[in-house]
Amino acid sequence: MKKKITIDPVTRVEGHGRVTIHLDAHGKVEDTFFHIVEFRGFERFIQGHPYWEAPVLVQRLCGICPVSHHLAAAKAIDQLVGIDPAALSPAASKLRRLLHYGQIFQSHALHFFYLASPDLLFGMDAPAAKRNVLAVAIENKDLARKGILMRKFGQEIIHAIAGKRIHGVAAVPGGMYKTFTPEERAYFLDGKDIPNIQTMITWTQEVLTLLRGYHEKDRNLFDTFARFPSGHLGMVDDRGNLELYHGRLRAIDSTGNITLPDVPTDDYQQYFSEAVERWSYMKFPYLKAVGRERGWNRVGPLARLNVCTAIPTPLAEQERQAFFAFSGQPVNNSTLYSHWARLIEMLHCAEMIQDLLHDEEMMSTDLVREGTPRLEGIGIIEAPRGTLTHHYQVDERGMITRCNLIVSTTHNNEAMNRAVRWVADQVISEQGTLTDGMLNQVEVAIRAYDPCLSCATQALGQMPLRVELWNHQGKVIDERRKNGY
Amino acid sequence: MATRQLLLGIGNSGRADDGLGWAFAEAFSGQTDLFAVELRYQLQIEDALLISTYQRVVIVDASVTVYDQGYSWSRCQPRRTDAFTTHQLAPATVVYLAQELYQCTPEVYVLAISGVDWELRTGLSPTAERNLAKARAFFGEKWEGDRNRKSEVGSRK
Repeated sequence: MKKKITIDPVTRVEGHGRVTIHLDAHGKVEDTFFHIVEFRGFERFIQGHPYWEAPVLVQRLCGICPVSHHLAAAKAIDQLVGIDPAALSPAASKLRRLLHYGQIFQSHALHFFYLASPDLLFGMDAPAAKRNVLAVAIENKDLARKGILMRKFGQEIIHAIAGKRIHGVAAVPGGMYKTFTPEERAYFLDGKDIPNIQTMITWTQEVLTLLRGYHEKDRNLFDTFARFPSGHLGMVDDRGNLELYHGRLRAIDSTGNITLPDVPTDDYQQYFSEAVERWSYMKFPYLKAVGRERGWNRVGPLARLNVCTAIPTPLAEQERQAFFAFSGQPVNNSTLYSHWARLIEMLHCAEMIQDLLHDEEMMSTDLVREGTPRLEGIGIIEAPRGTLTHHYQVDERGMITRCNLIVSTTHNNEAMNRAVRWVADQVISEQGTLTDGMLNQVEVAIRAYDPCLSCATQALGQMPLRVELWNHQGKVIDERRKNGY
Repeated sequence: MATRQLLLGIGNSGRADDGLGWAFAEAFSGQTDLFAVELRYQLQIEDALLISTYQRVVIVDASVTVYDQGYSWSRCQPRRTDAFTTHQLAPATVVYLAQELYQCTPEVYVLAISGVDWELRTGLSPTAERNLAKARAFFGEKWEGDRNRKSEVGSRK
């Protein structure tokens, strides 16, 4: 008789998901699924609302990356009031970038220190009681203190611009609500109240060195774990450099051949389609020209490093070159390298923040521009987890009639499912027993993509957990339960 | 010199009575320089850093427990707790982390106010409003009492 292993919920990710692994009578893996079981429906219930509410409402779909949704929606809403990105005032554009870099910096810090580091520091097979940030804090105090302050730095940038660390309001149609004050700038530069931006750069470099050490010590693991060919998608500027706020979309296949040649973001519909599966609420985007089977792409830090020609800040560019020199591949398809790529992006963001903090134009009060209203707006940015699309249509009264969101994690849906399958085949298949370490390896593979499955703060109560191992006669032979399941 | 004190309201005003912690803390916001006020959806690791910078912290949260007097007041001792998630930490764990990471153990109290309605809406239920008023009265008396005692001690010196 066949067996089914269930991991529910997947831990140390944003939101709630479930993994099922189906075994045949001999314990060999037949199929695997990464299910996203929550349904939010923002695309539907934003309909009928006035367009200017979108940047405020849609950010509520996440408690970790609300700024990304706020800014993607703002870019789309700018177009509804006739303002394309190039027409935004320089001050507004720079304030949005500062907000964006602060968001990515804090989100990446959260992922590395709070979610991913227990696996790296203690190993994938460490006892469950140790695989959490509390253990990191207790056993690696200096790292924990830095992680807390690095996340705080990004959050304080958000707070300064948007008024709140979570769900603040910064962007308005055609611009920004407020400017940046000299006092706010001094807060991030003088190091009196919080460690300054130069310290953030130094600490990020230290963490990069730490992580590289793990790669050097266990190269085979990092190179081979959940490695599989895939496309990679990300935004680049006019020169092909890494671009996180506004640019063109580029995709490559697993060996570096261009599959999407730097196209304008407004044209995304010409190139992308989305498939659905009956076992998940999350869709499967793919490039139409390549097809459903091979046209899916990874997004996020690893994909962005793979698609860009260079990083336009010196320290991060050095790290990018070191990254590819170490891996020895022009395109990196190894899942665990995502962590390294994420830290390089943190360094890039810190460098960008430093530049902006010294930019006098940030203090300008020229914040809002007006144009000729339109009925359709598209905003695409590179969120911490990857390419994020917001697309709105409105009627003549400015009420939203259609909304299409392609959230970053959606692009990684296929990749995460392939990663789960890789672990199931390599680690669980035909083993006969089920250990915590085996199950954690499934989660490690998913976790590397930093999925934001939905906003965890919307869940009710304590999440129950049950993992069962069934024998060929359909009997449960091993079981773990938590939280009253 | 004013004591460094923090009122830390926990909750979510979009979930009816879960907004009790915020409602309580916000009522004191700007009213006195003795208390700083912060609001959170839930306690997280970084709040260990926050509380480590204060001498006294009062964490105010809604509670599903029905207390006879409408609220509960208790001292929070540092203690490591292992829960399913570290996305939200127990107050005792945050105090424990402040001790571990920053060698600081502020005097921390938890004021838990009973609520009955946790649906997706803004505004407190009548029961929660009554309990909030009782908790405010209790805290006001306690705070005034503490302040008077300090004044007396100060004048004796």
